[in-house]
Amino acid sequence: MTGGHRRILVVEDDPETAGQIVESLSISGYQVDLATSGHEALNRGVASDYAVITMDRLLPDIDGIGVMRQLREVGVAAPVLIISALGEVDDRVRGLRAGGDDYLVKPFSFVELLARVEALGRRSDTIVKETVLRVGDLAIDLVSRTASRCGKDIALFPREFQLLEYLVRNEGRVVSRAMLLQHVWDLHFDPSTNIIDVYVGRVRRKVDGQQAYPLIHTVRGIGYCLRAPS
Amino acid sequence: MLLAKTLTSSTFKLSLIAIGTFGMIVTAIFSYVYQSTSSYVRSQSDRAIITEYSSLQGVYEHKGRDGLVALIQQRIADKGFANTLVILVDTSSTYLGGNLKAWPPTVTLASGSTEFRALELLPNTTHHPLLRAMVETFPNGDRLLVGRDISDLDNFTDQIKIAVISGVALIFVLAAVVSILVTRRTVGRIESINATSRAIMLSDLNERIPLRGTNDEWDRVAENLNLMLDRIETLMGEIKQVSDNVAHDLRTPLTRMRGRLERAYHSQRVGEEDQSLIGDTIADLDSVLRMFSSLTRISQVETEARRVGFRTVDLVEIADEVVELYDAAAEQDGALLSVVGSREVLVSGDRDLIFDAIANLVDNAIKHGRAGGQVVVTAEYIDGGPVISIADNGPGIPVNQYANIFKRFYRLEHSRFTPGNGLGLSLVAAVAHLHGARIEVLDNSPGLKLRLWFQAHRRSSRLRPSRLAHPEGQDGPDTPDQDPK
Repeated sequence: MTGGHRRILVVEDDPETAGQIVESLSISGYQVDLATSGHEALNRGVASDYAVITMDRLLPDIDGIGVMRQLREVGVAAPVLIISALGEVDDRVRGLRAGGDDYLVKPFSFVELLARVEALGRRSDTIVKETVLRVGDLAIDLVSRTASRCGKDIALFPREFQLLEYLVRNEGRVVSRAMLLQHVWDLHFDPSTNIIDVYVGRVRRKVDGQQAYPLIHTVRGIGYCLRAPS
Repeated sequence: MLLAKTLTSSTFKLSLIAIGTFGMIVTAIFSYVYQSTSSYVRSQSDRAIITEYSSLQGVYEHKGRDGLVALIQQRIADKGFANTLVILVDTSSTYLGGNLKAWPPTVTLASGSTEFRALELLPNTTHHPLLRAMVETFPNGDRLLVGRDISDLDNFTDQIKIAVISGVALIFVLAAVVSILVTRRTVGRIESINATSRAIMLSDLNERIPLRGTNDEWDRVAENLNLMLDRIETLMGEIKQVSDNVAHDLRTPLTRMRGRLERAYHSQRVGEEDQSLIGDTIADLDSVLRMFSSLTRISQVETEARRVGFRTVDLVEIADEVVELYDAAAEQDGALLSVVGSREVLVSGDRDLIFDAIANLVDNAIKHGRAGGQVVVTAEYIDGGPVISIADNGPGIPVNQYANIFKRFYRLEHSRFTPGNGLGLSLVAAVAHLHGARIEVLDNSPGLKLRLWFQAHRRSSRLRPSRLAHPEGQDGPDTPDQDPK
């Protein structure tokens, strides 16, 4: 990864929240710049090449969505993670449509924030063109929609395949339950049950059952991570 | 005080106007009757007078004064002539013949018709009848008067006058009495409603407007107001219940968190122990936050602003997706989860909300149904209306609890310790309300069956395929073009 792709712009006006975000991203190895107003965000966003911009929805001067639009207009393509205290789905969707790539509702856990930033940052890397993705002895064929381990086919329902594909595409990164709901089921709310865990549990039995090593790992308090043993 | 209210009330003023108008109409009708009757009577007598007069005049012309006098004598003798009065006098008004004793002094005109009172000129009468007569002066100065007694008309006129005056007076008195009574009654009913309203404003919502059992419009107004009060009381009760529950459900985890933090504050730092303490606290905090999101989500759904985002959605498709999501959970509980409904069942609605509602119902059915039981989701048209039902074959719930299960934070006794916050069905109710759908709770014997009756979908709008998941998540969910502001 180039230096530019480990650089993140955090736009947040509340000093304590800003400090916490900057700290948690810095610990994870990112180089973080902070903007506390819409104008500052515009200046910094244009001046440097950022991997990801996290944008508070409610800023003192310009609305976060407005800042994002203006950045897009001057050709800044960095993916934006909108952080909103407005809980309504329509607002999130508007945020996405205006050019941002993801959203997060306050309050959030920093693990979740990190997972989102990782996923967004990866998107600004080169898009993988291959049709077969491999992690360890797992291979998934994006064309025939089949998965196998050590050449042995794994029988998966279409949605189970989608889930596995999402995990594989985010190999080595933590994927939260909310991210799975959003990207695999296209659901924009929290069902408040352990339904995702149960679902992943079944996929995990099919993928990891009676294998040399497990690929799908539970990350306590946040979600899952698919990775091969190093 | 009631009398003062009665006199100033708008009903009373209205009745006064009505009485006045009615009185004028009655007077007008009576005068018309009077006019037309009297002119009819006059024209009738005029006709008789003219006939008689013509025949007498003819005789005078042909046979002279003596011939006429003879004829008059002959006529007077005839009984049928009684109604007719006649007198012939010479230039010095000397009586020549006729049944009037003398020429009436008030009649001075030479020829034409007139009306006069006959004084004592008539034979065998004591009263003063009104006479109508024709007078003619012949060339030699003799004067002939032919008339008829129209006292009947006179009497009739008097009677009509009495009838008009007494009738109008009676109507006014009656109308005044009736309007005062009606107004008093109206004011009384309104006053009882006002009194109840004041009592409610002063104290509590327990007061109700008394019904008179007359089943009239006042009783219906009172009934409706009472129903409204019932509804308000229920809502107030629910709000109080919700606040109490929120307070209780929040206090429990918050107290736990506070206790933990306090203990940690006063004790030595121990790495392992601190971590589990902090982890537990975060978990509790999350459950508090989740409860808040559920509550705000229900409030949002209840504001109905989300109707703007309604699309054509297929209940079968959503049911399939929910069943697919919960399939693993059902499998874990050994339950059999299935969906019935092959063709599309279209409704106009919000896909996420309908998904959430069905998911809640399926989740409940799996959790509260029989272990190893069956949960069936059916999307179908019943009587042309789109319906989705979720049925389990578990223990069900008592019939008397049916109305309670949609209340916020309501939890049945036996499910008190299963996970959940009692908000799921409240959300279902809110989503159903937003979509104008009716919820029906049925006994599946055994088990519980919940049905959502959606409104029939208008076919005119184009079917939009439901969104599919984006494995890469590169595209935002598609929405129609709309200005965000």
